[in-house]
Amino acid sequence: MNSKALRWTGLGIAAIGVIFAVVLASRFGTNPGLVDSPLLGEPAPQFNLSPLEGGEPVALDSLQGDVVVLNFFASWCPECRAEHDDLVSTANAFEDQGVTFIQVAYQESPPASLDYLVTAGRAESTLYLADPGSRTAIAYGVFGIPETYFIDETGTVVGKIIGETDALTLGATIDAIKRGEDPGQKVTGSTQQSPDG
Amino acid sequence: MSNTNRLFAVAIAVMAVALVFLMSTFESDTDRVEQLGQAIKCPVCQGESIGDSPAQMARDMMALVSQRVDEGASDQEIVDELLASYSGAVLLDPPASGSTLLLWLAPAVVLVVGVGVILWWRRNPTEATQPEVKEEKPRKLAPILFLAGSLAAIVVVAGFFVQDRDGPNTGAAAIDTDNLEEVSNETMEAVIAANADHPEVSGMRLALAERYFEVGDFSSAFPHYLEVAQSPDASDPQAVTALVRLGWMAWEGNREVDAAVGLFDEALAIDDTSATALFLKGQVLWCSATDLDEAASLFGRVLEDPTLESDTRSVVESDLDALNAGAACT
Amino acid sequence: MIGFLGSAGMALALLGAGLLTIRGIQTARSGERRNLEGAGRLFVVGSIVAMAALQLALLTDNFSIVYTANHHAAATPFPFDVATAWAALEGSIVLWGLVLAVFAWFMVVRYRKSPDELGAAALAVIGAVGVFFFGLMVTVANPFEVCVQAAEVGCVESSPWPFSSVVAPADGPGPNPLLQNHFMMAIHPPMLYLGYVGLTVPFAYAIGALALGVPGPEWLRRSHRSTLIAWSFLTVGILLGGWWAYEVLSWGGYWAWDPVENASLMPWLVATAFLHSAIIQQRRGMLQAWNFILVISTFALTILGTFLTRSGTINSVHSFTQSSIGPALLGFLVLVVVGSFTLFSFRADIVSTSPRVDSMLSREGAFLINNLLLSVFAFVVLIGTTYPLLVEAFTGTQVGVGEPFFNRLAVPLSFLLLLVMGFGPVTPWRSATWAQILERTRVPIVVALAAGLITALVVTRNGWVVLSITLGVFVLGSISGLASHQIQRRTAKTGESYFAAARRVFSGDGGFWAGQLSHSGIVLIAIGIAFAANLGAHLETTIEQGETIEFEGFEITYESPFFRATDSKRTQGVRLSIHEDGQFLGTLEPAANFFGDSDTGISTPDVLHGLRGDLYATMLGLPSEGSTNLNFDTSPLIWVLWLGGLTSATGGFLAYRARHRERTGRSDRQTADV
Repeated sequence: MNSKALRWTGLGIAAIGVIFAVVLASRFGTNPGLVDSPLLGEPAPQFNLSPLEGGEPVALDSLQGDVVVLNFFASWCPECRAEHDDLVSTANAFEDQGVTFIQVAYQESPPASLDYLVTAGRAESTLYLADPGSRTAIAYGVFGIPETYFIDETGTVVGKIIGETDALTLGATIDAIKRGEDPGQKVTGSTQQSPDG
Repeated sequence: MSNTNRLFAVAIAVMAVALVFLMSTFESDTDRVEQLGQAIKCPVCQGESIGDSPAQMARDMMALVSQRVDEGASDQEIVDELLASYSGAVLLDPPASGSTLLLWLAPAVVLVVGVGVILWWRRNPTEATQPEVKEEKPRKLAPILFLAGSLAAIVVVAGFFVQDRDGPNTGAAAIDTDNLEEVSNETMEAVIAANADHPEVSGMRLALAERYFEVGDFSSAFPHYLEVAQSPDASDPQAVTALVRLGWMAWEGNREVDAAVGLFDEALAIDDTSATALFLKGQVLWCSATDLDEAASLFGRVLEDPTLESDTRSVVESDLDALNAGAACT
Repeated sequence: MIGFLGSAGMALALLGAGLLTIRGIQTARSGERRNLEGAGRLFVVGSIVAMAALQLALLTDNFSIVYTANHHAAATPFPFDVATAWAALEGSIVLWGLVLAVFAWFMVVRYRKSPDELGAAALAVIGAVGVFFFGLMVTVANPFEVCVQAAEVGCVESSPWPFSSVVAPADGPGPNPLLQNHFMMAIHPPMLYLGYVGLTVPFAYAIGALALGVPGPEWLRRSHRSTLIAWSFLTVGILLGGWWAYEVLSWGGYWAWDPVENASLMPWLVATAFLHSAIIQQRRGMLQAWNFILVISTFALTILGTFLTRSGTINSVHSFTQSSIGPALLGFLVLVVVGSFTLFSFRADIVSTSPRVDSMLSREGAFLINNLLLSVFAFVVLIGTTYPLLVEAFTGTQVGVGEPFFNRLAVPLSFLLLLVMGFGPVTPWRSATWAQILERTRVPIVVALAAGLITALVVTRNGWVVLSITLGVFVLGSISGLASHQIQRRTAKTGESYFAAARRVFSGDGGFWAGQLSHSGIVLIAIGIAFAANLGAHLETTIEQGETIEFEGFEITYESPFFRATDSKRTQGVRLSIHEDGQFLGTLEPAANFFGDSDTGISTPDVLHGLRGDLYATMLGLPSEGSTNLNFDTSPLIWVLWLGGLTSATGGFLAYRARHRERTGRSDRQTADV
């Protein structure tokens, strides 16, 4: 190979290296595990889940016309325990405002979740549902908990909060939906992926 | 070719054909569920497929895949269903189309280029420079290494400065009292309920109470003002505001002069220069005709405040004039 | 106190590395034989002090050091307290720096024996790399920051100044549970780093040669043994990493094409290509430019791997927590790539010295194909690992690239490599004919095909298994054919006994035969992978206490649940007894470990090793009410894979010894000539 070709080969590799590095640099500060939920803007996946204590199942489409706040939780998840009070108080505050709160137990047996709710407390109007086989969690694309989905009056997923949330964020998101805005996806903290590490 | 070689070539060919035939009759006992399981990433694991991972979520997904296979869904349908909720990141086996087409093509391109380079290189013998031919060694080492060293130093220093840019994700802020304009009363109620014990909640409480107060919803405002007035965490200006509002509501709502004056006095005990407390106490004393002299002196004390805004000052001055003229309050 | 000691160590090492660079440059420029020993000594002693201080902090539970406070717990048992020194980001950089300093020291020793410009320039380069890593240590990844505000567990605020007013938290959270689960954590990273960092040495000589404009294979000769030693350690490191994953990660596999694994595989592949093409340059004077490209790429890939696993831009099993070290590493990567390749193109006139290959049907041709295949392999790993990042950067959409992609390309490439491996060693240099090659390989080919047919008829007709046996036996056959041919020729010529002749043959060309041993190891790896991946069975089941199930010929009885507790962890699991044909084989205790106060269990598998293969048991959830959910896997012949890895690395070490003897032998001869 002659030296001219080699010279350009060397410079070419250097240039490719720089381009590659610039692309890598553009990834700084982004969370590599974070995936934008493809459900945003799409019709919310339907479900028909029984309350944790058993009884009549609740179907999502029966709540059409309400803003639905769908939260996945478990007692083994510290972030879920931390946000629980805020979910309860927000549910209470919006009780008569056409907002339904649903909390779905994620990878936990109903008795364990019920035990937890006895000490953690529950909101009168919130529906606490069991999800056998994680079907609903899979349908919503849960990567870890807590994750909270927001479904508007027309049954469209318009928002998602990943990580521990609080009353202000929840309330502001509901307010935005009621104003007709799309809050989109927001990451507020870390999530727990499974009870067994 | 020698005879032995020929014999071996025939034997090799026959055996190879037999081997290929035997291998082609192999039927994999991995079923569709297992195959799909290998191609889908477990969303709660890192890099493992749902077929490999012992995580509960992975096994639930395998159960779903297995059920959909039993229901007669095609591989593509099952994958598409999962993509609808999880996006392309859960695919371990990227399709040779769309944005991942290049991924499959690139290795082939590199292979072809590599073969091309070897062939081209073989056809173009290079000028063979012998090592010994090289005469004087160029002394260009120092500038290059100096450049490298200083660049390294710059990189390290830059890295040092960059480090503070994105601090750890601290999760949700407990209470954010900025930008409350867009938040509904219900949201604020929820935030306050959830953070009742938080030392910084008084600001939000006061803001919410002020909203109720402005629209005349005294019954909603009252408990929040009361909380702020009684809270040990509230700052002095917050407590003064709350006490003044409570005093005014006692007068406006229920015409309770003593209660109102008591609350204003509490506020003045915290801050004896509070213009609103002085002015409103004067107003109450004047309007209830309880103590006109005291009212006049209170108005006078308000006007002593050099920081008083001019329009407020004119209001207070006109009120003082009216009072001195013996008029009833307006 | 320890903060002072550690900071002093880092400062010394930084100073030493800096001095080494400056004095190295001065020597290379002026040609005067300056003494570089002092700088080298400062570098290595400083690194040792830094590592010793870190170890001391961990072993004495000194929680005033932030690193100890955040990655160690008083209850962490031996050897995990030692291993904690490299279990987290800052400590891993200390280990990196130490290994680099040790390699630099060997270069200094060598320079002392025969000082010249090339040695000095190479020392300047390795010194500059040292300046970068110790620069990282004293700035963005300081392991000796002291704690100025303690949390209940761990430290919340730190200061880089050891004389700050220091507070010590009562205890720390301990290392990452996954890393506490197996003693392998104590040796796997040092092995890997010896390999990874060792690849800096050939890079240093290459850059030194380019900068000085010294053409010819001298830089290869100088660095060949370091490359061999680094390659061997890297092989061991990767192997131990796979073994750790297998024993700890509870999914029954050893390789998941995880970014961190890929980060170690890429330099390994390119270094392997380099080992081969270096031989051609040394023997035939060809491929000089290609060797420069390979050695620079190898080093750049080690930095890229370090970046990928430590910058938080890629998700991975063992990626370190997100850190600010990313920009610095990326900057260094750019510097290495741009600087080295620019230098390369400025020196294009001296690197293009290769006479051409006479015929592709020759040893050189086989080496070229081997290099092409290995380079494509490395490219596949590189693009597969970084493609999701690239796509996300350009289109904002997410794609996943995983095992199926890698397997689909890596498996055929590996089989092709095996094929070349069988033909290469028996192919003559310069030029050969098909008849010649057929004559030398016909017996191995027939034996290999026979082995393949037997496998297909007796064991399985699974193509991957049959192909791995066929190609493996072919490689082994052609190696042993070559060996017996040479030995017989020698016995015929000298009348020595067979064994004496064998010894002569093997020691006569030690480097070559060590290489063939490594090839045999690769064959075993391929066979082990093929069997374990294709013939394993899987069972997920619930067993009642006292119940016995049958699985792949094993009789598995659930004896009892058990619970154990030590200071650092609680273990809850089940005891299984395993029989085969009524004969007791052993007990398995798959369990979940709970470290510290955590109520999150880390599933810990248990493995029954056997000649036929392993039985692998994992507990799914905790046992309850007399029954338990378990996963069972078999991994047939997986020990062949471990054996192959060891064989391959042994080959590398033997090659190192052989080259060492060659060099010392040569210098003896030279002395004799004088």
